[in-house]
Amino acid sequence: MSTRMFRIFSALLAVAMLLGLVVPVAYAQGPCQGSSSQCAVEAAKQFAGTTINYVREAGLQAQDPLTMAPIWEKLTGIKVNVIELAYLDMYTKPLQDHLTGGGAYDAIDLSPMWMQDYVNAGALEPLDPYIQKYMNPADMEDFLPVYRSEGVMKINGVTYGLFDDGDVFILYYRKDLFEDETNKAEFKAKYGYELVPPETEQQMYDAAEFFTNKYAPELYGLAMQRIEGQAYSWFVGPFSGRGGQFFDENMKATINSEIGVQLLTDMVKQNKVMPPGVEKWGFMEVLSAWMDGKVAMIVTWPPIGRWSAGYGDTAKQLDWVPASKVVGKVGYMPQPGGRPTLAGGFNMCVSASSNNKEAAYLFIQWMTSPDISLQRVMLPFALRDPYRLSHFNSPLYRSAWPEAGEYLDTLKKAAMAGQYELGIPGAREYMEAIDNALTAAYAGKDPKEALDEAAAKWDAITERLGVENQKKAYEQWLKNPWNRLGPKVEVPTE
Amino acid sequence: MVTTTEALSLKSEMPRRKRRDLIPWMFVAPCMVVILLVTVFPTVYSLGLSLTKWEIGLQERPFIGLGNYIELFSTARFWHSLLITLLVVVVGVSIELLLGFGLAQTLSGQMKGKRIIVAALLLPVMVMPVVVGYTWRLLWDAQYGPINQIIGWIIGQPFTYTWLAKTETALLAILVTEIWQWTPFMFLVFLSGMAVLDPEIFEAADIDGASGWAKLWYMTLPLMRPIIVVALLIRGLDALKFFDIIFTLTGGGPGNSTETLSFYIYQMGYQFFRLGYGAAASFVLLVFLAVFLTYLLKAFKSAVGS
Repeated sequence: MSTRMFRIFSALLAVAMLLGLVVPVAYAQGPCQGSSSQCAVEAAKQFAGTTINYVREAGLQAQDPLTMAPIWEKLTGIKVNVIELAYLDMYTKPLQDHLTGGGAYDAIDLSPMWMQDYVNAGALEPLDPYIQKYMNPADMEDFLPVYRSEGVMKINGVTYGLFDDGDVFILYYRKDLFEDETNKAEFKAKYGYELVPPETEQQMYDAAEFFTNKYAPELYGLAMQRIEGQAYSWFVGPFSGRGGQFFDENMKATINSEIGVQLLTDMVKQNKVMPPGVEKWGFMEVLSAWMDGKVAMIVTWPPIGRWSAGYGDTAKQLDWVPASKVVGKVGYMPQPGGRPTLAGGFNMCVSASSNNKEAAYLFIQWMTSPDISLQRVMLPFALRDPYRLSHFNSPLYRSAWPEAGEYLDTLKKAAMAGQYELGIPGAREYMEAIDNALTAAYAGKDPKEALDEAAAKWDAITERLGVENQKKAYEQWLKNPWNRLGPKVEVPTE
Repeated sequence: MVTTTEALSLKSEMPRRKRRDLIPWMFVAPCMVVILLVTVFPTVYSLGLSLTKWEIGLQERPFIGLGNYIELFSTARFWHSLLITLLVVVVGVSIELLLGFGLAQTLSGQMKGKRIIVAALLLPVMVMPVVVGYTWRLLWDAQYGPINQIIGWIIGQPFTYTWLAKTETALLAILVTEIWQWTPFMFLVFLSGMAVLDPEIFEAADIDGASGWAKLWYMTLPLMRPIIVVALLIRGLDALKFFDIIFTLTGGGPGNSTETLSFYIYQMGYQFFRLGYGAAASFVLLVFLAVFLTYLLKAFKSAVGS
């Protein structure tokens, strides 16, 4: 996107924000009838002069609330202090604060995976009374069903968070390479089928092998994040897509099933068609290689779609992002394998130990309301991704760059077929065990041995937390169709 | 027999003496309260915690006696982390000691540019361990790291070995990084020690025709013993708590292969909120530290005595 185009969009966004300030409110007593953002603003004015502490992931993630907080303060008189924490600290620090009775945080961002632990610790404020009081019911229905389901915004039927980040893995591929006639002919001659944007893991591997063999070291076929910490996210979706299950009926871990072992064997094999040293690649390494045109495909989170297209690349907050050399060359597909991982994502929640619960709630309602959240998921430098039906259908967003409509459709399709990461008590520990198994296998350990060790750790965790307790939590968690593992998600009617 | 006057004077003196006795206590009382609050209370509290099943996933926190300790000692991951910690202490600190002593010996005499060399050698120890970890992570990078680049030049072909992602080399990379950072500390301590050794003893040895090796073995080393023990004590205690570089360089991986005891405690206590178990592991570390400290202090006493 040219600088001029970006300026036009910035101007449009600014107008939209101003409209948000002057739209008349149909708010009186009882449930909100008009815009949820306006209802939040009107109700929040009674708390003018208050300061709320809001926990957000450090770095680029924080640019969004840092941009929005002054607007909220201007509208309501409530100051928002954005506290930036590293991703994994976002799980530990607010919990530590609650357990020590600190009350240092009012609003917190939490991954759905962590919700159970927080609810068990009594660290979250139930939001249903506030929602009934302040939110337009229609706006609740605007959340994509996958994001408003049990285990995500709700735990045991109680709403504890408002979803705010449509994180789902999609495959970005280089259209120019896939549409090149020579490549197509050579690929067909070698593999016996057409070179197409991959839908299956095998197609992805073949294409990656083909491009690596042909172009390396100038270009490699594929790159995915492999570094310890969140490597498990690339395991969960394909594991589910292949029909793997986390537990059997007795809550014994089954991640070391034949499916799991085969998948891990394939993941180790994939590393060979990726750039050297990929085992230590994190988000930034994948992003840099992709933007620099050094890889043909990547599987990762949504914001890369906006940056690849050069959308808003003149924003000063994006100075650190390498300039895209792939503008106009990018195609999008859901993560191959049938069940893209719904990796991470965030709920905005209210801390149970907050002294400003109502003000904190009103802030998160405003932030996640359809009109304000659309502006936020369109901020070029923000890491928040579309999660409302109105985001996916927004004409403004769909015209943000030539392929934006295709991008949004792919995100929606991927999310609706997605697979959540395990979200029962001890989730962090369960996922860490998989992470250890993956990195150990990348380092040369036999995949079966690595997964057997992980399964033993899983059983020990389950045993420790109580088999019956865990079974109950898991059964509850499985009530969400996007938590149930298997090749296809049974999507309820929207 | 005490007269009335004497009794009266004693009466008035007693409170004054009592007051005088109390004054030192009043001065140290705030300090004592702070110490009690920040050290004794948390220690006692965490000892109690180590006897309970405190898990974030559980609603109740039952007393389980030595259950956490039993689980700890029957967990392979704990023993592995202990082994890695001991490896860092024994191998890492020993190499630091040898290199530090060698450098100090080399630079202990008068030489041109000594100040600049000493200042340059001290730079690593002034950098924060976290910064060291991230910097070395770049140095060890498979594709763009200078280490692989140099090896590539030497062998005449691209070299892209992933040092930090392979079990067999991740620990080596950690040790190299650790030694790089802390050898200057040893060097500094030994250099200071050598600076105060009496030169007359060495002059006498020269007159007697002692070789350089003999002077080192029979004079420098015995004279430096108390200083060596102190350096070992400081570095050993520090290495037993080794955390920052592991955290930034490998995150304990691949798998759990480079996890130290401190990192393991951090994972259990602050990542998984197994506070009872984490407290038990901390106490075990405390015991190790106490044993290590006692042993080295004994060594120090004997070194000073001799």
